[in-house]
Amino acid sequence: MTDWLSQLKKAKKSCIVDGKLKKVHFDFGDGREMVEEYNLDTNVVTRRAWRCNKELKGEDKWDVEIGDPEPVYNSDDMPLIRENSNQPIVSRRVTRMNLEWRIRNLPYSLETYSVTADQDSGCLVVRTTNKKYFKKLAIPDLTRLHLLPQQENVTFSHKFNTLIITYKKPKALLELEKSLLEEVEKVQPKHQDMDCKPS
Amino acid sequence: MAAAAAAKIAEVRETTRVERIGAHSHIRGLGLDESLEARHVSQGMVGQVAARRAVGIVLQMVRDGRIAGRAVLLAGQPGTGKTALATALAAALGHDTPFTSMAGSEIYSLEMSKTEALTQAIRKSIGVRIKEESEIIEGEVVEVQIERPATGVGAKVGKLILKTTDMETVYDLGGKMIDSILKEKVQSGDVITIDKATGKITRLGRSFARARDYDATGQQTRFVQCPEGELQKRKEVVHTVTLHEIDVINSRTHGFLALFSGDTGEIKPEVREQINGKVAEWREEGKAEIIPGVLFIDEVHMLDIECFSFLNRALENEMSPIVIMATNRGITKIRGTTYKSPHGIPLDLLDRTIIVPTQPYEEKELREILSIRCEEEDCMMSDNALTVLTRISKETSLRYGMQLIMTSMLIARKRKAHEVDVEDIKRAYQLFFDEGRSVQFLKEYQQEFMFNEMEDREEMEMETN
Repeated sequence: MTDWLSQLKKAKKSCIVDGKLKKVHFDFGDGREMVEEYNLDTNVVTRRAWRCNKELKGEDKWDVEIGDPEPVYNSDDMPLIRENSNQPIVSRRVTRMNLEWRIRNLPYSLETYSVTADQDSGCLVVRTTNKKYFKKLAIPDLTRLHLLPQQENVTFSHKFNTLIITYKKPKALLELEKSLLEEVEKVQPKHQDMDCKPS
Repeated sequence: MAAAAAAKIAEVRETTRVERIGAHSHIRGLGLDESLEARHVSQGMVGQVAARRAVGIVLQMVRDGRIAGRAVLLAGQPGTGKTALATALAAALGHDTPFTSMAGSEIYSLEMSKTEALTQAIRKSIGVRIKEESEIIEGEVVEVQIERPATGVGAKVGKLILKTTDMETVYDLGGKMIDSILKEKVQSGDVITIDKATGKITRLGRSFARARDYDATGQQTRFVQCPEGELQKRKEVVHTVTLHEIDVINSRTHGFLALFSGDTGEIKPEVREQINGKVAEWREEGKAEIIPGVLFIDEVHMLDIECFSFLNRALENEMSPIVIMATNRGITKIRGTTYKSPHGIPLDLLDRTIIVPTQPYEEKELREILSIRCEEEDCMMSDNALTVLTRISKETSLRYGMQLIMTSMLIARKRKAHEVDVEDIKRAYQLFFDEGRSVQFLKEYQQEFMFNEMEDREEMEMETN
């Protein structure tokens, strides 16, 4: 029984079922909230988002850990500074056996990249030989279990301007996900009838 | 071409904007030495040695930060440097200690009640120093591209390419960011950090790789290594916010509901209580530090009896700041009552304050102040003229004397002289009345003014109710 699993068990949970997706909301009681979205066919998490409400500033934005980030519709307020839209962008996915990162907008060929498991920081480090891209990818799933990444679990490929990094899930993580799934299945959605008629 | 020229002009105007000169803009500090002994003329302060020493001790008390809720009263005739002392204290405290300055009449408003205004002022004077993680971008500038639309109107478009030894990224810039990059004169080869949330740019120096770009570099040019690793980093920064700012952030009604809430600017006491609890909690955990500041209330006799009794109570709270009040009244009515009291302040509050008196200036000190003001207003004045002006200030008031500096300078400029002489002072003295002569004039010609037919009712008195 890990610390993380007990935290999840203690958290206040609620859920809704929307078609083939089950959305579960975890409230940890200390200002942190997490939402997971399960695909009911495969029982795999398709999205996971966090919100850490800052004590000073009220409600914070959702921070997407897995899945695509929230789309931004052409908002009027241009932030002070942001990355250009054709700069590399990282998104994460989880499959049954693997953890995956996709880095889009990376046009260089496969030989350019190197991905190493950094034991000190518990991150995967992506480097390029042409010194155009460098990124430390955190692995929150492993960090929560106090595991360190192992180099032999890392593979990567490059296709359609996208670098795909795959990390094989260790046994401890698979077991945790199994028991979490059992926990999630216990949470029953409230009745699905709409309270008000949408016009 | 024309657009570019126009932009050039706008840019020049931005950089050469002059600071305006206020009545106390020559004051840079209290002018004390290490043992808190007042130097006779220093940092724009002249004379008033005892009062400055007293304020120096108050300064020490604020810096120690252990004593809460003390009140200090600066009492003295008009034009004896009470506000100057407070300004000097603010300057000496530095920008990290909150200093709130308000006039007694400011609390009367239709928007909020008197006590709410006072509470807000008190909470504005208490700072909380918090550690927070913030995202910064740190890298060497490869290229800055800023394009102005050809028509000369509309938003500017900007791109910034930054690199570290390991990577390179293109950033889009917003309008404000473009302005601050232009202002900081960021160019390729600089190593900069940008705070992502606030947009603050800090120039660390020039990259070693660019050291040979120019044959001659200024002495202050600092060369630094190009940063390593990722461009975006998380760094722990310490910053100070006031309790009032935390209140405001947490009390704001969210979303469109704010439109209907009829926001009066008042903050609910529950919100304040919650925040006090939170801050106390952080303090115990070592996350935050409380910095008590100074609340300065000028013209304090304008507060009424309710405010005074509220202050009595508020001063007892351990979260309250040092309150400095200033008044130029003698024994007068307390506003809101028919009782008379020294300085127009009830005796129970007076009992809780330490009183710092200010004395009228000596002739020598007046001369010193006037010559400091001349320098501040960029005015050349002959010795004789200064002597005359000092005499005028002695007989009328220091404020009137200071008004004559600028006016006589303009008169001198009319006759194409670059130095103000006695003649110019005389001319200005004739053109502009001081308060004494104006009263005399009114007494002489009272009959010819409007509404004179009405007999004098009871004696004129300040309306205080």
